[in-house]
Amino acid sequence: MVHKTSRSIAGVSALVLVLAACGRGDEQTGGQGSADIAQGPATGTITVWAMGAEGEKLPALAKEFEDANPGVDVQVTAIPWDAAHNKFTSAITAGQAPDAAMVGSTWMGEFAGMGALDATPSSIDKNAFFEGAQRTTEVGGTSYGIPWYVETRLLYYRKDLAKTAGYETPPTDWPGLKEMAKALQAKSGAKWGIGLQAGGTGSWQSLLPFAWSNGAALTKNNDAAYNFDSPEMQETLKYYGSFFSEGIADKEAPAQPTTEPDFVSGRVPMFISGPWMMSAVEKLGGEGFKDKYDVMPMPTKKTSSSFVGGSNFVVFKETKNRDSAWKFVNWLASPQVQVKWYQSSTDLPSVKSAWQDSALTADTKLAKFGKQLDTAQSPPTFATWEQAITALDTEVEKVARSGADPAAALKAAQASADSIGTGR
Amino acid sequence: MTGHRTQNRWWIYVPLTVALIAVISPFVWMVLGSFKGEGEILANPPTWLPESASLDNYTQLFSRLRFGTYFLNSAIVAVLVTAGNLLFCSMVGYALAKLEFRGKRALFVVVMATLMIPGVVTFVPLYVLVVNAGLANSLPALILPFLVTPFGVFLMRQFMVGLPTELIDAGRVDGASEVRIFARIILPLCGPALATLGILTFLGSWNNFLWPLVVAQQESEYTLPVALALYSTGQNSIQYGLLLAGATIVVLPVLLVFLVFQRRFIEGIATTGIK
Repeated sequence: MVHKTSRSIAGVSALVLVLAACGRGDEQTGGQGSADIAQGPATGTITVWAMGAEGEKLPALAKEFEDANPGVDVQVTAIPWDAAHNKFTSAITAGQAPDAAMVGSTWMGEFAGMGALDATPSSIDKNAFFEGAQRTTEVGGTSYGIPWYVETRLLYYRKDLAKTAGYETPPTDWPGLKEMAKALQAKSGAKWGIGLQAGGTGSWQSLLPFAWSNGAALTKNNDAAYNFDSPEMQETLKYYGSFFSEGIADKEAPAQPTTEPDFVSGRVPMFISGPWMMSAVEKLGGEGFKDKYDVMPMPTKKTSSSFVGGSNFVVFKETKNRDSAWKFVNWLASPQVQVKWYQSSTDLPSVKSAWQDSALTADTKLAKFGKQLDTAQSPPTFATWEQAITALDTEVEKVARSGADPAAALKAAQASADSIGTGR
Repeated sequence: MTGHRTQNRWWIYVPLTVALIAVISPFVWMVLGSFKGEGEILANPPTWLPESASLDNYTQLFSRLRFGTYFLNSAIVAVLVTAGNLLFCSMVGYALAKLEFRGKRALFVVVMATLMIPGVVTFVPLYVLVVNAGLANSLPALILPFLVTPFGVFLMRQFMVGLPTELIDAGRVDGASEVRIFARIILPLCGPALATLGILTFLGSWNNFLWPLVVAQQESEYTLPVALALYSTGQNSIQYGLLLAGATIVVLPVLLVFLVFQRRFIEGIATTGIK
């Protein structure tokens, strides 16, 4: 997960630095201690933290767990996404972490590095999850927690406008995508062919689906270092940058773009985003808009891949009720519960078999997200990921906004990433 | 001021009007925006008046948030923190301004030094302290650490230094105790400074987000800003309508406090400036 809400409280980075320094002390204590969980029903009290809408809706689901395990009391606290990361790191430092919690998938490396997370017991089947999602729980080869729900990024496009531009079916490869974006501009009155992030925080989320589709690997030397300047990455950034230099995408796109209204008005009839955008654009577009747009998989270069995000569920090492906490987490990962959770929250199941349920197969757009999840990949779970990727974001901005040389830009990003290191 | 002089200074109102518009317009847009739908809020170019005004955001806000609880928490915390600051900061300020004791200078330097350290730096140590004191997961954890602030001490001291020492001496001659001098002679003279400190502390506490978020372990202890963030900002999207409606509600008590103390507040700024 990465959320884009502004967390611009001055000094948060200072806080993180302080915390990182605190966490170094007892690193690696019991990294592989995945003792199995006891049989029988869960008992006692389990304190659980969950963010935002998930935190709001989880208590109802937890009630069912309590019904199945009469001796257990699950206490869910909903915490805001804004600054949730601060709350976790402070709580870990002060020994006030809950028993179990929902955790953003990009925080795993940091929390595991602080020695705060309990390794996943072997009785939980790791092959049940989408591979890209499962990998977000793995830090240094050990799995901490489960992927709870997932999301991936697809290309949204206006079906009606594409038809005007002569496209009955969407293109499937890189040159095809660019042609279509140009055609939308020329024939369908679009101001910009496609909306791509031109820089700023999170630009990498637009870039990496293309990079992975081009077979780029983000680490090298057996996960010992970042790998931002590979030939595949260079080719990708060149392609990405060409949308801006050829005037197909808006160079001056603001950091907080008005994606939804622009899509509905046809000003920018294509963009890359996750499943939550479906309800957002349908709400804005009103009656019948549902049939005016569609989603398509990321276009292929070597393959078609995308970004897998979402949230994980972890058990903290300090928990006094370890067995019951894991039983709750394990219960959340069962296919029936995953479907039920999808129905109440619209969060997509991380368990592959849950996707065979008619609740998910009925929606053709949703099914495309399910298909992309098979090949979607996740960034490495290095504790320094957020820092390293900021360097890449900056360089992407130089290429997109001012037409800098992609190879040189990636070289600079790689140099920053090397100096930051993987944090291991 | 006579009519003649006002006429001659009409040009002063030009920059004043410009400044007023710059300050007020985001606020007005927030209030108007709280009656708009999500699409209208994001409309480009932005609009002022809602096309179809509705109370949807407000009804959603009140039905989803346990508003009473959060409001009460915010009020309790803000009122107690303000009361604590008024009392303790003026006490310390008085000692530093008018009493003679060993280590006075050193104490003042320490207070000033803590004023220089940004809050984020002491954030985690403070949290660990609160937890070790057994206060985690309780409302006092939101109040106790902020009962006295170096800024408040500084403000009160600076004001009290300007009060005539003869008044205190006269009180002593008449046989008043130190407590009595403080309560009956000094405090009544500090009205403007106390009003300033009170307003600033109340605002700071009312709007505080990060500390209540980190310290409160249950929703029943959340304050308004925390609750508002919980319901309006999602992982990938922000419900701007809800946020604007919530912000409008949150700002009301603050406006009220300011309107009530407005005259004294302005007086306070003027007098502390002169002295």
